[in-house]
Amino acid sequence: MTEIWTQAALWLGLALLASLLSIWLRIATALSEIVVGTIAQLLIGAALGGALLAGDASWIKFLAGAGAILLTFLAGAELDPVVFRKQWKQATAIGLVSFIGPFLGCTAIARWALGWSPEASWLAGIAMSTTSVAVVYAVMLEFGLNVTNYGKVVLAACFITDLATVVALGLIFAPFTVRTLIFLGVGAVAFFILPWLVPRFFKRYGGRPSELEAKFLMFILFGMGALATWADSEAVLPAYLLGMVLAGTVGKDHALIRRLRTLTFGFLTPFYFIRAGSLVSLPALVAAPAAFVVLLAGKMLTKIAGVYPVTRAYGSPKQEGMYTTLLMSTGLTFGTISALFGLSHQIVDQAQYSALVAAVIGSAVVPTLIANAFFLPRHLLSEGEKS
Amino acid sequence: MKRILLAYDGSAAADKACELALDLAQKYGAALKVLAVARPPEFGGEVETEAVLENSRKHYRHVLKPVKERLAASGLVHEVEIASGHPAEHIVMSAEQWGATLIVLGHRGRGLMGRWLVGSVAKQVMSHATCAVLVAR
Repeated sequence: MTEIWTQAALWLGLALLASLLSIWLRIATALSEIVVGTIAQLLIGAALGGALLAGDASWIKFLAGAGAILLTFLAGAELDPVVFRKQWKQATAIGLVSFIGPFLGCTAIARWALGWSPEASWLAGIAMSTTSVAVVYAVMLEFGLNVTNYGKVVLAACFITDLATVVALGLIFAPFTVRTLIFLGVGAVAFFILPWLVPRFFKRYGGRPSELEAKFLMFILFGMGALATWADSEAVLPAYLLGMVLAGTVGKDHALIRRLRTLTFGFLTPFYFIRAGSLVSLPALVAAPAAFVVLLAGKMLTKIAGVYPVTRAYGSPKQEGMYTTLLMSTGLTFGTISALFGLSHQIVDQAQYSALVAAVIGSAVVPTLIANAFFLPRHLLSEGEKS
Repeated sequence: MKRILLAYDGSAAADKACELALDLAQKYGAALKVLAVARPPEFGGEVETEAVLENSRKHYRHVLKPVKERLAASGLVHEVEIASGHPAEHIVMSAEQWGATLIVLGHRGRGLMGRWLVGSVAKQVMSHATCAVLVAR
């Protein structure tokens, strides 16, 4: 056990360092964990040998996988089902445009500009198609747009974009067999029954120190995850869908959500993001930086082409529309999940994975920097300067 | 001096700014608006951004409680707001929209690294505000 405790201490030490960096630099912890993972692997690998981090140990893989599942569930549970029911047609249209443009565009770029295999190109398209709901939500809140029709539609559309991403990830690479049908069938029944069952079950047995709610949710999530992987699909697909269908019940229980966040961010996701970072090869990235640049540019341009006209059609001023569009080009969590799925299923090699993760990190940073430097401050300050 | 906007973040410098703003508001019989801004991560991620904002709003509700009590006891015309976003921009925008004649805020005196990375809110407010700015140190 000494070896395991040592490794656990090392990983949580890195997680602590990443948290401190995220506080000092005011960036998402996931972002700093990926970067810390990459640098730690490089330094520890060079100084003490690559095996010390032991990212392929089964217990680390389990914790990392559980982190991805719970994080995806929590992301889905942030959906506002009332708004979504009211605006689902517009949200679906915008969300699909926001997905399909970068998906097809980046797939084409990877296939014909970078010469990647068809499967690797599809995966690149998926990894680059995501939108960070969280970042868009923060922007909507900042503008006060979260209460407007436009803001609600855009936010709901972000969920559709990410849903399309996880559906594509879960189904494109899965062979369509009887197992797929069983997975989809059980999933459909679960998604139909759980919104009815969960609130009643929690009302009857929940609210006790035994944390029954967390155990029940993890039982369902891991069970559906097992079924998904048995069908050669991906465990985050049912997790995101379960989050969405339970958004009106579990998602409204703020105390439960806070406890799940503590478990997720405090223990599980550091293993996921540090592991994702540790698998990035900096030498491979430095040797061929073009793939990263081309993919990032491709994502941003295709998002702008798809989303900007929609924001204008809703009467959003030019700068505000461009700001929203740029922020819809960010996508850290699902981009990383997609890239790691590709590497673990040998769809992409380590150099391609490194380029994808770098482009995903770039998509979390570059659009925000551009938006803040050229759009947000001027937009907000222009009224004052005129008066 | 009719309307004073106090930017408050619960720091020691903000407390000094609060003393100054209260003193000035009482001397000039001005209305006082207290603004706190919950700031999301610069580059955000799923779930965490909402958690940061939620936590930040909770923190401001807590630190604003004694300020609210002091304002209520002072008899001044006042309002208190917790906004979300970039502090400097919100302070400037709120001052313009509310018609503030003076912005009072504290200077937290970040280290070199902090100033280089995120800039000083006070400096940004001084650069962009269209009314007088008083910085407490």
